[in-house]
Amino acid sequence: MTAKRTMTLNLTDAEMRVLDELSARKDITKTAVLRQALRLYQTIDARVEKGEKLLFENDATKEKAELMLL
Amino acid sequence: MTVDVSKIYLLDVATGASVEAELRDAIEQAQLDDWQTKWRPALLTVLQELARRGVPIDQWPQSWHWDWTQKTTRVQGLLAFRGFSVVALGETQGLAQVDLTKTGREANQRGKPLVYVDYLEVAPWNRPELGAAPRLRGVGSALITAAIALSEDEGFKGRLGLHSLPQADDYYRKIGMTDLGQDVAYQNLRYFEMTSEQARAFFEQEGER
Repeated sequence: MTAKRTMTLNLTDAEMRVLDELSARKDITKTAVLRQALRLYQTIDARVEKGEKLLFENDATKEKAELMLL
Repeated sequence: MTVDVSKIYLLDVATGASVEAELRDAIEQAQLDDWQTKWRPALLTVLQELARRGVPIDQWPQSWHWDWTQKTTRVQGLLAFRGFSVVALGETQGLAQVDLTKTGREANQRGKPLVYVDYLEVAPWNRPELGAAPRLRGVGSALITAAIALSEDEGFKGRLGLHSLPQADDYYRKIGMTDLGQDVAYQNLRYFEMTSEQARAFFEQEGER
């Protein structure tokens, strides 16, 4: 198991509610939600940096929407 | 980066003896060197023999074109991807690369994060389907065990997913994964998932061996 370091995180009530809700819905701990968020953010950022776009496609209508990352 | 190394045991098929091996939670240059200088020539010999015998290409080992250097370089530094390797008798015996950003499709775990096995390959001399008797047994299981253990460690409760090459379909059914059928969006390969319960059963079964 890879060694881990501990940090304190200050969140607003709204952020904490979202974290609680995602943790319950995804069946993972709050720490796991944040680690997952970091992985996804790094992955997306690396691809956008290479000139790629992040698109969402509606499965039914096939309509595409681009998520702008600034 | 510190590499975590665990001691595991494989079976020497010829003698029936246990062979001590290392399960490493990374794919390092030494493994890529082994792939380049040992796996590739061994596989090339097999492919040349298959070509000589006129075996159709769809019956060749389906991972013959995999380039582990390319696969490893592409994900270098990204937290979403992790590698594993099994080393025994001074050689790399198996490699796997997993992706931590995928989610489940099976009804009970739809949308929940899992460890997705992107690639898993065992050294050519350990693969019974390549003709000769395999040297070591247990390499593939060790890599699957490592992926499930990672899933547990990441809080994904043992959930696992993968697209199987047709020659491995039976193996994934045998270890208790759910076959969710052919995936038209992924080269028509069959998609398999392991639930938390199936992961527990897999560990129990492995423990009894």
